[in-house]
Amino acid sequence: MDMYTSAAIILGVMVLVYFIALWVKLSTELAMLVAALAGAVAGGHFFPARHVAEGAITYLDINLIFICATLFMNILKESGGVAFVVRSIIKTFHNSRVLLLILLSILLLIPGALTGAGSVTVLITGGMVAVVLNYMGISKIKTAAIIFLIAGLSAAAPPVSLWAMMTAAGVNMPYVGFFWPLLIPCVTGALFTVFFLGWKGTKIDVGKAFEELPVPPEKMNWTRIIIPFVIFFGLMFMGRKWPHDTPVVGLPLMFLFAALASYLLSPKKLDFFRISADTIKQLLPLIGTLTCVGILVQIMTLTGVRGLLAITFITLPAYLVIGSLFFFLPITESVLMYGSAAVFGVPLVLLFNSMGLNPIIALAGMSVIWPLGDALPPTAIIGRLTVDVAGAKDSYGKFLKQCIVPAIVIMILGTLMVLYSKQLGFLTGL
Amino acid sequence: MNAIFTPIITTLYYALIAFIVVLIIYNMIKTRDWKKEIVYVIILIPFLLRLFMLK
Amino acid sequence: MNRKDIIRKSLIGFVGLVVLVVAGIRFYQHRHFKEQVVIGDQVKVKKLGNYFDGVKGTFNDCNIYFIEGTEPGATMMILGGSHPEEPAGRLTALVMVENARITKGRLIVVLSANRSATSVTRPSAAYPQLFTIPTAWGGQQFRMGDRWSNPLDQWPDPEVYIHYPGKQNLAYMDIRNLNRAWPGRANGTLTEKTTFAFMNLIKQEKVDVVIDLHEAELQYPVINTIVTHEKGQDLATMASMTLTDFEGFSIGTEFSPKNLHGLSHREIGDYSDAISLLLEAPEPFLDATRGITGAEQLLEGKDAFVVKAGKHGLLYAPIDDKGWPIATRVGRHTSTVLQIMQSWNEFHPEKELVCEGVPKYTELIAKGLGAFLIDPGSVAKGKVVFE
Repeated sequence: MDMYTSAAIILGVMVLVYFIALWVKLSTELAMLVAALAGAVAGGHFFPARHVAEGAITYLDINLIFICATLFMNILKESGGVAFVVRSIIKTFHNSRVLLLILLSILLLIPGALTGAGSVTVLITGGMVAVVLNYMGISKIKTAAIIFLIAGLSAAAPPVSLWAMMTAAGVNMPYVGFFWPLLIPCVTGALFTVFFLGWKGTKIDVGKAFEELPVPPEKMNWTRIIIPFVIFFGLMFMGRKWPHDTPVVGLPLMFLFAALASYLLSPKKLDFFRISADTIKQLLPLIGTLTCVGILVQIMTLTGVRGLLAITFITLPAYLVIGSLFFFLPITESVLMYGSAAVFGVPLVLLFNSMGLNPIIALAGMSVIWPLGDALPPTAIIGRLTVDVAGAKDSYGKFLKQCIVPAIVIMILGTLMVLYSKQLGFLTGL
Repeated sequence: MNAIFTPIITTLYYALIAFIVVLIIYNMIKTRDWKKEIVYVIILIPFLLRLFMLK
Repeated sequence: MNRKDIIRKSLIGFVGLVVLVVAGIRFYQHRHFKEQVVIGDQVKVKKLGNYFDGVKGTFNDCNIYFIEGTEPGATMMILGGSHPEEPAGRLTALVMVENARITKGRLIVVLSANRSATSVTRPSAAYPQLFTIPTAWGGQQFRMGDRWSNPLDQWPDPEVYIHYPGKQNLAYMDIRNLNRAWPGRANGTLTEKTTFAFMNLIKQEKVDVVIDLHEAELQYPVINTIVTHEKGQDLATMASMTLTDFEGFSIGTEFSPKNLHGLSHREIGDYSDAISLLLEAPEPFLDATRGITGAEQLLEGKDAFVVKAGKHGLLYAPIDDKGWPIATRVGRHTSTVLQIMQSWNEFHPEKELVCEGVPKYTELIAKGLGAFLIDPGSVAKGKVVFE
């Protein structure tokens, strides 16, 4: 049997088993695991313990970031810090909708831009922003759409864009020249999203908001809130400013230090162990999915399925490849998450390079499109998380509907960047 | 400075991993949902591999 | 929690434990697998730690093989294992250690420049852990490695890697990439300390030419080529022309870009008196479009999917159904290294490096790589060292 046939059969088995698993009501992450195991068996690997374990460890560091960042936010929330910040924002900015919308988009852009993970945005500032947006007369489902889309853009935004970074490393390209090519579409997309979905609404009823919002402990003040952030940003700044005179701290530990500071500064006594255990419980779907994606990609690589998908896509006619990026990238993202950068990003960038396109601009354009897939089933992990954080009770389909227009604008932006990457080459500054 | 802090930071990472292992096992014991139990066991594997310095 | 819960939880936990234990043993065995190298009478072995205390006793305190002729001459250093996922580099270095006889000058050979990276395979890439080169005496096993140092030796990574001293931003994991860490620094990460130690070695031993051996995916533009620092321009051009005319394979030359930092061909040339060159051979195993991943594909270099990419004009090196077998890839490296020596001698007749016994391209293809590996069981115990 030639490799095409065998890889196609294994792919068929994996897809079939995946859907059967969903049909018998297994969660997406377990369905992925079962599909991976079925693929391994179909490929003649009957006890792939090493491959399961090796695939499972792929996203260990990213999972650590998620855990520590979320722990930090949960402590801040339980100490009353979040309520305090939301009250202050409403008090100061309730008169200017424009300023408020811009401020909220910045709040959403920062965490993901620094960590490369949209879910960190959703978990860190998403909840806070959602409350304010609700008081601005924006429905919960629209709020969820705003937070999800900007969170996605924040993940693609510089300085840390994991898709761009992983692909760049995969094609031996330094992570240089990406700042403006990533920042411009991300900020444009974020502002469009927030004004498109958030412009219509009502004026904030300050009295009502203050009545409903949880009351922070009396001793809560800006100092207690800001110090943990100063520690986090201070460590990050030190690493950037004096990279060779300071030790490598890493994002997980930076978030952990911020979390500990927040815990120590909390005006009321908190149960650190309980909050930590709840954090893991809250993140179980996200961590579980990433872990199982790693396993799935490993088995797909082992059996040739990954190669089959990659070769099939990149050998399509060039206009089809570029013309279908807008839905192809989100779909691969929805199945493989960051794995999509390694599986498809690498051959695509090399393909664009050989077509004479600017690989940096093209990759930046792709990086803006990728995160949209985080709302799509089967994983839909960040989409589901956002709907949950925003407290929306509507159907998931309604959430997706709200996302459509800004998503199309972002897709067009990204595709145009790939198409005109040569002309936009000046943005890299190289 | 690097020579002093780097080993401390690495040790802190292993301590963090150990703490997360405890949390995962604690949650796995607490949950009543067998599907969640399986996911907890799967996510536990990479943390244990790192904790025991195997991968 | 009732009895049923306990039994169910124990069962699920037990299955997880089995996976953990089985996989854990495999990871441990891979990391601690001992590759055997047979050393001849001319070979002396030192440690990298002899040149910098900062790597002494660490996983990267690798072997440095000195093969010295009776007559003085030039010193050339061959670096294998900068990227241990490119096995032709390490195997070429091994063939040189086991076969080279130096009459004039001195050859310094490294098999595991980033030894830590030889002890790990890339997550979700399904690499084989070990591979076997068939020989007349049964076969010799080697570790497959990764592009990056093992996180067990260097952890955590920063959110972005800022190169020293170039301050260039690189992807975070490249802080563990030896060929992004030149020239290194004394108080840096393990990977940076390793390149720092190599820089000390290059300076102390007055190395004239450093050749860093690599392989690349066929979809990558820098392939089948000699990448040279501007100091090595004449040497590389001359070697490339001669090889293309007389050895039966073509190899290009490329200049080391001045604005790409951390690479051996740039920084060794900039920060020492040595000429720095880097050789790239084709390795279809690294292509993102590769099919079934395993030791067979790694060694035979055959892949129908990569061939298809070639038919669509997406590759920078040719490939057909015959693939790129490991003997061909090693042969490209040995012949290129020997030709660079030859060209050096023509430019520097007063300071020659004369090397015999190393098989060339055609010989390796005709007899196979295994024909040039020495059976560790056939020599005295003291003549075998471990990588």
